[in-house]
Amino acid sequence: MSDSESTLRDVRRIAGIVLAVLLIGGVVAAVVTGRNNGDTSTATKTVRAVIGSEKAEFFADPDVVKALAAKGYTVKAETSGSWAMEGLDLKGYDLAFPSSQAPADALAAKYHAREPLPRPFYSPLVVVAHRSAAAVLAANGLATLDGKGRGILRMSAYLDAVRHDRTWQQLKGASAHGELSGTLYIASTDPETSNSGALYLAAASYVANGGKVAAGQADIDRTAPLMRKLISVQGAQQSSSDGPFRDFVSGAGNPLVLVYESQVATLLTQQHGADDLVVLYPDTTVNSDHTVVPLTDTGRALGELLSTDPALRRLAVKHGFRPQGDAAEFTAATADRATYLNQKLTGVRQAPVPTSTVLHEMARRARGQ
Amino acid sequence: MRSPRTLAAVLVATALLGACSGGGHQDSTSNAPEPGTLRVLASSELSDMTAVFDRVHKDTGIRIRPTYMGTLDAVDLLAKGKADGKYDALWLSSDAYLRLRPEAAKRVESETSVMSSPVAIGVRTATVRALGWNPDQVTWSQVEQAVQDGRLTYGMTDPARSNSGFATLISVASALSGAQSALTDADVTKATPKLKEFFKGQKLTSGSSGWLATAYKRRGDIDALLNYESVLKGIPGLTVIRPRDGVVTADYPLSSLTASDARTREDVRKVTDDLRTDAVQKLITDTTHRRPVVASVAPAPGLDTGRRRELPFPGSRSVADGLLDSYENTLRRPSRTVYVLDTSGSMEGDRLSRLKSALTGLTADFRDREEVTLMPFGSKVKSVRTHVVDPARPRDGLDAIRKDTRALSADGGTAIYTSLEQAYGQLGVDGDRFTSIVLMTDGENTAGAKAGDFDDFYRRLVGSQRNIPVFPIVFGDSDRSELQHIADLTGGRLFDAQQGSLDGAFEEIRGYQ
Repeated sequence: MSDSESTLRDVRRIAGIVLAVLLIGGVVAAVVTGRNNGDTSTATKTVRAVIGSEKAEFFADPDVVKALAAKGYTVKAETSGSWAMEGLDLKGYDLAFPSSQAPADALAAKYHAREPLPRPFYSPLVVVAHRSAAAVLAANGLATLDGKGRGILRMSAYLDAVRHDRTWQQLKGASAHGELSGTLYIASTDPETSNSGALYLAAASYVANGGKVAAGQADIDRTAPLMRKLISVQGAQQSSSDGPFRDFVSGAGNPLVLVYESQVATLLTQQHGADDLVVLYPDTTVNSDHTVVPLTDTGRALGELLSTDPALRRLAVKHGFRPQGDAAEFTAATADRATYLNQKLTGVRQAPVPTSTVLHEMARRARGQ
Repeated sequence: MRSPRTLAAVLVATALLGACSGGGHQDSTSNAPEPGTLRVLASSELSDMTAVFDRVHKDTGIRIRPTYMGTLDAVDLLAKGKADGKYDALWLSSDAYLRLRPEAAKRVESETSVMSSPVAIGVRTATVRALGWNPDQVTWSQVEQAVQDGRLTYGMTDPARSNSGFATLISVASALSGAQSALTDADVTKATPKLKEFFKGQKLTSGSSGWLATAYKRRGDIDALLNYESVLKGIPGLTVIRPRDGVVTADYPLSSLTASDARTREDVRKVTDDLRTDAVQKLITDTTHRRPVVASVAPAPGLDTGRRRELPFPGSRSVADGLLDSYENTLRRPSRTVYVLDTSGSMEGDRLSRLKSALTGLTADFRDREEVTLMPFGSKVKSVRTHVVDPARPRDGLDAIRKDTRALSADGGTAIYTSLEQAYGQLGVDGDRFTSIVLMTDGENTAGAKAGDFDDFYRRLVGSQRNIPVFPIVFGDSDRSELQHIADLTGGRLFDAQQGSLDGAFEEIRGYQ
């Protein structure tokens, strides 16, 4: 048996596990939206979608339901992990809506979906920290702070610290804060089962690989020891980005947590003046590109509607997503949260995401499987 | 490393048991699906959530029906697919252990954390003063030092059966090993001498947090309890300390299951949404001392918001199971138990064979160093046979117990109290072991000492003999109130093998030995 065969088999096996485990948890499947109360005169078209769970709240929002109905659509959405969609039988669905491009591309190839794929909105990965931790990182050259609520995480300095097993105790200023002790690391979700965890490896491996996207076995091998370290120090990882974020909110958990910007933006609408919160944008990060894979013409029409309809774009912003194309919408709508959000992503570089196969293999190695 | 015999045995026993339990929890027969009701497999720590469950019912119309089970048992049930169709959701204190078992994790559809509580140590306020501790500054190393100096004793729940015990064990091992990131096998090995010292201070063990608190109050000679902050806050007179060098935090994820249908999952989602509303989050923190997970609700007064390092949970099953195995077989004080077994005439036939099979099954679960005395009785005690599980040759002791079990035969009357008195005589005083008596009887007392005689006998006991609890098992035609009285008198707990199984009762009592 050749190596590539065994790798492929492993990938299939992982895909199986991923399918079973369900990726980004969060909100439960079968969010039925679009309750047609009979008060609309136009008959609506029912659209069946399988979506990443972080968009479940969006599709369940009564305002979104109303905006879709106004355009003649009732969306019945079921959630699935983005990576798990590859293993689902999508017959009878109109679209799949994973939370990043790599699984979307794989799905598009499998179902012969016509390019380009509608990509209505995106959200970059960010790191949330309490002020004390952010200040210590800044004092030690690992981050720069921009005002009181946000900053830039210097990825190469951070990865260097990880390579050298740096602990918080070794950083100046940390001893004043009892909770800042132990190995310095960012808590992420499980990269084998969760989108945000996998995208964390995508960003880190891009930096570790000298600013090139990991493309083959040699790149995987070269970056594997560092990726393994990023993951193994964390111990048991959660399977949904909501979990570590909630720990953070409740005052428990690791001092640095990787989340989607949309999660922070939503939190900030619920609670203004999050005094102790600092949002660190990695200088090299990855976007969660919410990508529609149309399986029918209706699916494509809905994907395009989400991209173009002003009301729906506004509602996406309300849920913390950045609509594609026009940065001004997000900037205007989040003006009240500019203390925390880097609205124009100044000083933030987007790393491309490796192919689904490479990323799966990278995650498997990082988990020590 | 040696295979984790104890854990394997726990799991085997669980497989035999299915979902039933000897402790008066809901048994599986009453667990049929019912529209508008969520059958939830839950950690026993959630039994303080009644007011919240009522509120959720009022808000959503959905009733939460919990079946309480230890984390390891629940995860195993899930892994074997035995929870499919029997439960609609899973609600453990933490899913960290579940994630180490892919066969179980793959049956979870999604999880949403609802509240949080860190491991803490609750110390009698007078002891805190005597030790000169500033509660904000205490570290696990200081706790260990106080134990070593003989100035601190404590109780905790059994890590193999209770999530709070498991999280406590991880906290203590991580902190005392000096591990800077997730525990490894090497960390555990390195920390073993320190951990041995630490666990010398454990004077009380329990299969559940509830009984731990009761026994603590009754004993009066124990200085501290290790448990979740939420449990300790509910016990008067304790200063609750979150050690400065780190804790493991439970985040109580309510999880839906892949085996459920879409409608059930929708019900789980509705309940989850309701639990995350400000009003319910406030109710949770006010009534259960847990911390909210939404930013808009502040923790209840008295919950110190100073931050602590979060100790990572081990990332592999071999580390978690290995730690558990060393706790049971090496680190903790060993147990000494007298099994007072009714082999009167009425046990003839099916009952005796059930007793034999339950006892034989139990031998797979005895720990290294454990001392087991079998005391079968009829009209009087028939024999007293003591066996020790020698770590060098564990099979010898276990084989001897099985051999004695096979030789049991049914005849004579039922001399419950005379036999119990003899068991106390047998146990004497040994401060180095967890000492207890298990009483299994299928009928009422018909011979020897009367109930009143035993009351007098017990009240005349002095010193640590009075701390020996009797754990009676209701079986066959035994008199529940008679046995409840024995449990109350001696500070034990009643177990039920009429509704549950005899194997289940014996197995559940293990957490208290």
